[in-house]
Amino acid sequence: MSYAYLFKYIIIGDTGVGKSCLLLQFTDKRFQPVHDLTIGVEFGARMITIDGKQIKLQIWDTAGQEAFRSITRSYYRGAAGALLVYDITRRDTFNHLTTWLEDARQHSNSNMVIMLIGNKSDLESRREVKKEEGEVFAREHGLIFMETSAKTAANVEEAFINTAKEIYEKIQEGVFDINNEANGIKIGPQHSPTSPSSPSGGPGSSPGSGCC
Amino acid sequence: MELFKGVWGGQQQTTTNGRSVQDQQTGAETVERLVERLLNSTLLTDRRDACRALKALSKKYRVEVGAQGMDAILTSLESDRIDSELVAYALECLLNVTSPELLEDEDSSLSSMGEQFTEIIAKKPDNLTMLLSFMEEYDFRIRLPVIRLVTNLLTNKPKDVQEILLVSPMGISKIMDLLSDSREVVRNDAILLLVALTKNNANIQKIIAFENGFDRILQIIQEEGYSDGGPVVEDSLQLFLNLLRSNTSNQTFFREGSYIKKIVPFFMLPDSDADLGWPTQKVSNFYHMLQIVRTLTSPSNPSHITLSCQKVIKVCGILECLCQIVMANGIPSETLAEAIATVGEAIRGCLENQEYFGSVVAPSEPPRPVLVILLMGLINERQPLSLRCSVLYCIQCHFYKNEKSQEDVIKSLLPSSGDVVNTLTAGQLLCGGLFSKDISNNWFSSVALSHTIMGNMKQKENLLKVQFSLKANSGPVTLMNYILLSLQQGTKLQMKTAFLQFLSIWLEGCPNAVAQFLGNPTSVPYLITLITSVESDEKEALVRGLASFVMGICLFFNPNTVTAFTKESMIQLINNRIGMETLSDALGQISKSELYIHSLKHPQLGAKHSSDLIFDHYFCIMFKKYESLILQQLNDPGSTHVHVDSSSQDFSKLGHMVNNHQSPTDVISRYKEVIRTQDEAIETLKKEVHSLKSSNSVSNATIEELTSEVLQLKNQLVLANAQRATTELSSEKHSQAHIAEYQTILQRKDQQLHEMGERLRGLESGIQTKNPIQEELISKLEEENKVLVEEVERMKKDQEELLELLAEQDSRILKFKMQLKSVGVQVEDDDDTGEAANVVERNESVDLASNVFNGGEHSDNENYLL
Repeated sequence: MSYAYLFKYIIIGDTGVGKSCLLLQFTDKRFQPVHDLTIGVEFGARMITIDGKQIKLQIWDTAGQEAFRSITRSYYRGAAGALLVYDITRRDTFNHLTTWLEDARQHSNSNMVIMLIGNKSDLESRREVKKEEGEVFAREHGLIFMETSAKTAANVEEAFINTAKEIYEKIQEGVFDINNEANGIKIGPQHSPTSPSSPSGGPGSSPGSGCC
Repeated sequence: MELFKGVWGGQQQTTTNGRSVQDQQTGAETVERLVERLLNSTLLTDRRDACRALKALSKKYRVEVGAQGMDAILTSLESDRIDSELVAYALECLLNVTSPELLEDEDSSLSSMGEQFTEIIAKKPDNLTMLLSFMEEYDFRIRLPVIRLVTNLLTNKPKDVQEILLVSPMGISKIMDLLSDSREVVRNDAILLLVALTKNNANIQKIIAFENGFDRILQIIQEEGYSDGGPVVEDSLQLFLNLLRSNTSNQTFFREGSYIKKIVPFFMLPDSDADLGWPTQKVSNFYHMLQIVRTLTSPSNPSHITLSCQKVIKVCGILECLCQIVMANGIPSETLAEAIATVGEAIRGCLENQEYFGSVVAPSEPPRPVLVILLMGLINERQPLSLRCSVLYCIQCHFYKNEKSQEDVIKSLLPSSGDVVNTLTAGQLLCGGLFSKDISNNWFSSVALSHTIMGNMKQKENLLKVQFSLKANSGPVTLMNYILLSLQQGTKLQMKTAFLQFLSIWLEGCPNAVAQFLGNPTSVPYLITLITSVESDEKEALVRGLASFVMGICLFFNPNTVTAFTKESMIQLINNRIGMETLSDALGQISKSELYIHSLKHPQLGAKHSSDLIFDHYFCIMFKKYESLILQQLNDPGSTHVHVDSSSQDFSKLGHMVNNHQSPTDVISRYKEVIRTQDEAIETLKKEVHSLKSSNSVSNATIEELTSEVLQLKNQLVLANAQRATTELSSEKHSQAHIAEYQTILQRKDQQLHEMGERLRGLESGIQTKNPIQEELISKLEEENKVLVEEVERMKKDQEELLELLAEQDSRILKFKMQLKSVGVQVEDDDDTGEAANVVERNESVDLASNVFNGGEHSDNENYLL
């Protein structure tokens, strides 16, 4: 399948906050209550549509355990977007956000779009972190914020798609250098790299234009 | 220096490096001086000069430079990093010192030098971080040697260095960036570095995939002209394979990222190649390209991953390209063999692809299905063996879980089909192979034919109806009877193994076939003759085992319809005529056989010689399944009234008959029994594995200890040699003290080595009784031990000589002193009064010595000269 853009995402956050489940819900539309511990990094992909354009999301789901931290750092640099996930029923996962954010800012490119996600919103009775707290943290650090539930699929699509929208807007504004693949953005095979903002380039509609 | 020469002249001995002691001494001195200069000089130019000189010496005096200079070089790399010239020299120096291969004129005893020096560097992760930072340096003189140096380190100590690089910040990314270097040499060496970096490390492989590794490699391969490119293409493909092999995550990424489509050009060969012949590099490049497809579709991958890859491979046209290559002219036979095996794995277990393959028609005259063309190659003894093995593999893959094409083959053998008159069918070809006079043809066709009925009850039944008229005037003979006849008339063991395997596959799970087999009055007596015969070699033993297996299958699937050979009477017969022991022994011959173990492990036949053609992989799987069940049935006659075993049915997954006479409790108890025996087997195996593991780890630890001991001794020897050279010149007293020190060290080492030896011997005897698998280990240990003993002996000898020399020197000095005294010269007793005094004294002694030695050969003349 051809695409106009390919965006690379990473999912980060403490162990057990539901990173792999968010990915599974997004790519396979299913929920797995018992999930194996992620070892290193796992991979998933899905196509979405923004502004009439096909966009391929390549998502790298990282292990939250401290032991893998040095490995997962290698994935920051090449990502265009990051989902920073905490668990609303576990205060400590919220408290660790600063560390995660510092780590991400230090190793990623400065334009990386970070989406803060409070997961497990279905477990309202066990909530330890108020939604407002998440909102405040996001505002203070210039992040987008959302509460999701990988179990009920609430807001999961939106979380991934809104991040993509943000990246897409940044491209339109010319903030991202799309010719540098280290930014985590690739132009689809049928799309000329010289005219990224031309609205005519629907999927497959520009035959013969240069290939990158 | 005359004295020195005089003393040493007769003793010139070669050291481990193959250089003379003297040579080494001057080398060691120089290295020591240079290292000192590198560390202590205040002027950068001096340090740079020292580094340049060290680099120049690092090939010839690798041990000395490594042992004495390593720390200094690493330190100055850090402190003088702004001076690119010095950095370049230092890097090249380390590059020589850590070379994983022996440099010219080096003795093989130094083969682990590179590894030892790598260990020293890798001990401090900061060293590698520093080297990584030099990779960012654009200067050619720095970037190239640092790439090569890290490659050396990775080759010498892959695991340690990989782990360090993996956790160094942006380490892998920095290495990946090297691929975009516009200088081809740098890029090519970066590929080699990545090949070493990605070997067996899934985490690194994933990061490289994330860093657009596949795109980069594909781009390089494309730029270099695909398979027509040089060794760079091969290296790139090697990296490609490293990223994919047994890394399901990367395979998924490869598939999801539509990369399979991007490798289609790999397999589009221009027609013009046919007459030109293929250069070796192209054969090798293409081989690696085929390996990519085989890695993606390997039977050992999780089946859903293989299946989805197979589908993509078909959709994007790779399967079609591969079939074209199989049918093309002018392809070298090794490439062809690999391509055929690749087609096999691309279709195995994927019905859609199998159907496609079955429908491909070769552009021959008359046009024939590609399957028929391949079969013609299979039963042609003039074709290379490797090619025939690949064809068999491909055919097995084609019939694997493919009932439709299995049926097609058998149908072509049945009389009902009317239109077979003038077309050659797969079935006819295979039967032709069975009747052929060539043994390899018999073997290949019987194995291929067995795959047309494998796990397919309907076709097993249909095959019973196949008849031939062998001679014009005689009546038709069933295939079963024909095979029995050939077995009895044949003398060739290989053919017997083939036909017995075929029979056991046919009879397995098919009571009607068993009935037909037992219905032939010669069958059981013939099997008994085979089983009770005295074997003279391994192959005869295998025939005995196979005959026992057929017997066991007949017992197992006995329909009790042939009155002479009901289950009960067969057990009686076995007890009376063969004996339980003999039968289980004969079966054991197979499971013990190397050929069996090999075939069980590898789905693709790897026969080097046609006489290796004995077992088929799938037969081995079946054998493994039934061996214990047969023995169990024989040993437990109480349960022998049970008709066809439901437990075996369960495991064979044939979904065949369920016995009516059995109560459910019977079935359950059978299941339980089976599960219990399996549990027991698992338990004992676990125990065995555990004990093997522990003894293995003990042996490993000992080996490690001994190796480190040897290393220490080696290093000490080197150091001793180097220091001896310098200290000897400065003061005898010092050297004496040193020697005494060394002596005690050596004695201690000697003692330690002796203890090691004792422990080793004890361990050996312990291991010997345990398991034959450990014999290999023991022999390794023995070798190690031998090397150690030799080492000690050599050191003893060195030591003795040294002592002798020293004693000699001592006595001589005494004599000289006396002489001097007698001549009236004032002799200072204290040697340590100062350098000047020493020099004077030495000069005097030299004069005297030359007087002494001018008389002729030294030691003999010494007495009367005094």
